Amino acid sequence: MSSIKFPRRNFIKASAASLFMAGVPLAGYTKDRPPGTISVILLEGGMDGLTAVPPIGDPDLMRMRSSMTPSDFLQLNEFFGLHPSLPNYSALIARNQAAVVHATSFPYKKRSHFEGQNLMEGGGLSPFAEKTGWLGRALEIAKLPGRALSLDMPLILRGYRDNDNFFPASIRNSKRPNADLVDLISMGHNSELADLFSKVAKKNTKNAKIPRDPASLAKYAGQEMARPGGPIASVIRVKQFDTHANQVSDDGQDTHGRHAMQLEIVDDVIAAYREGLGDAWDDAIILTLTEFGRTVAANGTKGTDHGYGSAGLLAGGSISKSRIITDWPGLSKKDQFEKRDLMATIDYRAVCAACIERALGLEHDKIASEVFFEPQLPRLYDYIFS
Amino acid sequence: MNESFRVAQKLGLMFRPSEPLPKDIKAWALSQLQAPSPALGKASKYASIEPWPDALQPDLSKRAQMWRLFRENRKKARARKDGQDTEAAKKTNERNNLMRKKDELKFAHRNVYGDDQLKLRFTTFWANHFTIGNTFDTSSMIGHAIDEAILANLNGDFANMLYLMTTHPGMLRYLDNIWSAGEKSKKVKNCRKRPNCQAGLNDNLGRELLELHTLSPAAGYTETDIRNAARVLAGWGMDFEASNQEMREDANTTNHWQAFKPYYAEPGTKKVFGKTIYAGKNGLKQLTDHLAENDYTIKHIATKLCQHFVSDQPHQADIDYVAQAWRQSNGQLDQIHAAVIERAIDSKEAKFIWPMTWLFQVIRISDATFFKGWNDIYNYDNNLMSTEKIFAELGQSFWSSRQPDGYSSDRQDWLSAEMLERRIRFADAIYNAGSTKQKASEIMDRLGVNEATRSLVASAGKSRRHQFIALMCSPELMGLSHV
Repeated sequence: MSSIKFPRRNFIKASAASLFMAGVPLAGYTKDRPPGTISVILLEGGMDGLTAVPPIGDPDLMRMRSSMTPSDFLQLNEFFGLHPSLPNYSALIARNQAAVVHATSFPYKKRSHFEGQNLMEGGGLSPFAEKTGWLGRALEIAKLPGRALSLDMPLILRGYRDNDNFFPASIRNSKRPNADLVDLISMGHNSELADLFSKVAKKNTKNAKIPRDPASLAKYAGQEMARPGGPIASVIRVKQFDTHANQVSDDGQDTHGRHAMQLEIVDDVIAAYREGLGDAWDDAIILTLTEFGRTVAANGTKGTDHGYGSAGLLAGGSISKSRIITDWPGLSKKDQFEKRDLMATIDYRAVCAACIERALGLEHDKIASEVFFEPQLPRLYDYIFS
Repeated sequence: MNESFRVAQKLGLMFRPSEPLPKDIKAWALSQLQAPSPALGKASKYASIEPWPDALQPDLSKRAQMWRLFRENRKKARARKDGQDTEAAKKTNERNNLMRKKDELKFAHRNVYGDDQLKLRFTTFWANHFTIGNTFDTSSMIGHAIDEAILANLNGDFANMLYLMTTHPGMLRYLDNIWSAGEKSKKVKNCRKRPNCQAGLNDNLGRELLELHTLSPAAGYTETDIRNAARVLAGWGMDFEASNQEMREDANTTNHWQAFKPYYAEPGTKKVFGKTIYAGKNGLKQLTDHLAENDYTIKHIATKLCQHFVSDQPHQADIDYVAQAWRQSNGQLDQIHAAVIERAIDSKEAKFIWPMTWLFQVIRISDATFFKGWNDIYNYDNNLMSTEKIFAELGQSFWSSRQPDGYSSDRQDWLSAEMLERRIRFADAIYNAGSTKQKASEIMDRLGVNEATRSLVASAGKSRRHQFIALMCSPELMGLSHV
């Protein structure tokens, strides 16, 4: 695969001070037509930001983790490379329709998957503090519906009654539920359940032939979001990023390891969204979300253990200029968090807030205080979208 | 529901029409803890209920041997050798040497036909607490762990079950322990002398042992505790593919359940959550015993038990009661389970029923046949789906590639339009394909359902199919509160 070279001007190595400056105010928000759509790809297990977007210009990278770094990375600029399993994403970077946020995390440092996942979806001040999710709360404020592409309703979308989910069913000897019967059943249930049953009655099952892999679901989600009156937000899960072992395969530094395979899925999901969204891509923002990054050093079983800072991959037509947004902390032992993990210097909640602001047209201060309960959350909008 | 069915719904799998209802439901529930547990099932759809044949329930060494053979044949297939590359040979290889389909069907059969319904529910709870997800070769070990580490030890003490699950080859593989080597082990020292050699500690199992299986984060253990737990675990477990000779050389045993490789072990004592653990194979039992008796472990798991069996929002008094039984009995599981039974019976609050448990209950009360016989696992059936597919469509399977925290007992995690759609579809499928022998009206009479359920079913009109679906998807049968 040929490397793509990017000019130096696409690279922003901003200082902490400049990163957290306030941006320009946003034009007024009209309810009838939100400015865009927002899609979240949940990367369960902890994505390794140093593998996905290796900081090749950092002299400590090869010293700390030569066995984990792909040798055939795509070069983004002098300092950052991109994993070769992300070809579609790299093409979007070339078109100025993608951005990377690096050395970032939700403010959670204790390395538990389950606390971390709860926090990244709930968006509260501590794990298990919230029964609703940050995207659900934002949609509730905007009164715009979202849809999860999963059998369950993930925490991130809970909090707005019009939010729905979709997952193809294939059960032999069962017919599509009769709407009248479902309505009758709903009347026997309490209001929360009745709401859900009424969605079952309305479900359009003509899409039941859709395959269940994340990319096929993403394409469907994109098509639905492009439809007039379709959902404004969508959520897809990609599992198994928890690569304690065999993160790279036996021959090392290739694209067949477990982590590379997962990145390939993410790449396909982003490409499928683009295909499904069609013209609606122009106002779309897609972002990845993971509970934590992984240790800087390899662990001895060709993998990495739970860490802290990671990277976020953003894509969509609402980005007008590709860049890497980071306040790079360095990889040497003294720069690492607790002498083992990549430090996080950007609060990823601020990235989520900027994406909500762009897609739903809500004001930053409202998002900060009512969605994330953090009035002091910095506004990163201009760093991503200007 | 009458008291017999109310209790059987919360704690068991409901009574099949052939089962007489007990006179004293509490005495029955407690006596269930000692019920014999043959793996009951059917050879084919129309066969009578009998125990599964021994030939379909291989022990661990036989399973390892089958797995080795499976891998050998697959390598030959890739090399186009010995005729292993034909479709027929590949299928035969899977049928003869993989265990997942057999184990998953046996689990379903037990739950549908078993006379030990409370034990099966507690087995399900613990199988979920000690989740082994399906990765690579674990699918041939998950069923073994459920039967031999959990069900067979349901009346022993928690410390024993904890040790058996921590050392089970399925768990050691699932959480990546089989390659983990202590930083000061001989393995790591020798590795340093060679270029491109990687060896070292992997803290995956150590972390989940403290976080999920015992203490919980509330205990406030440190990263050092996690690392030291991983150091105690270093050396445990071998690849399921290892030959007997490799097993003997590395671990001085051919038993995968006792495979400890001194070459990978971390020398010296380690301190985990205040306890000094000695080096060597016996260190792990010292560690799991220490964790098992800690009060954070007791509170953590007592809470989980109450959330699963007593009510959706258990009272602190329920949790305290179970925790007290745990302390007084020094972790005797039958005593702990008896306390759970008491509180579940006393609590009149609704308890949401998991999709898989609901499915088994619907099949039992309607006397349906919804799972194939063990002779028909690999045969297509016009009516009956494969076991694998049933659980996948339902969204709940112990053989899926899930995260180590297992399935939530919080009903909020199970309420979505698609999840409810699956309940309707499965009630429909069981009615259509299961040759149900009981009509909705007969089931309602036997269960003594409440007026709200009766009027819901009445509103569904004259269609027996609609009545059946309405009944099975009523709040009462799903363990939800009424309007």
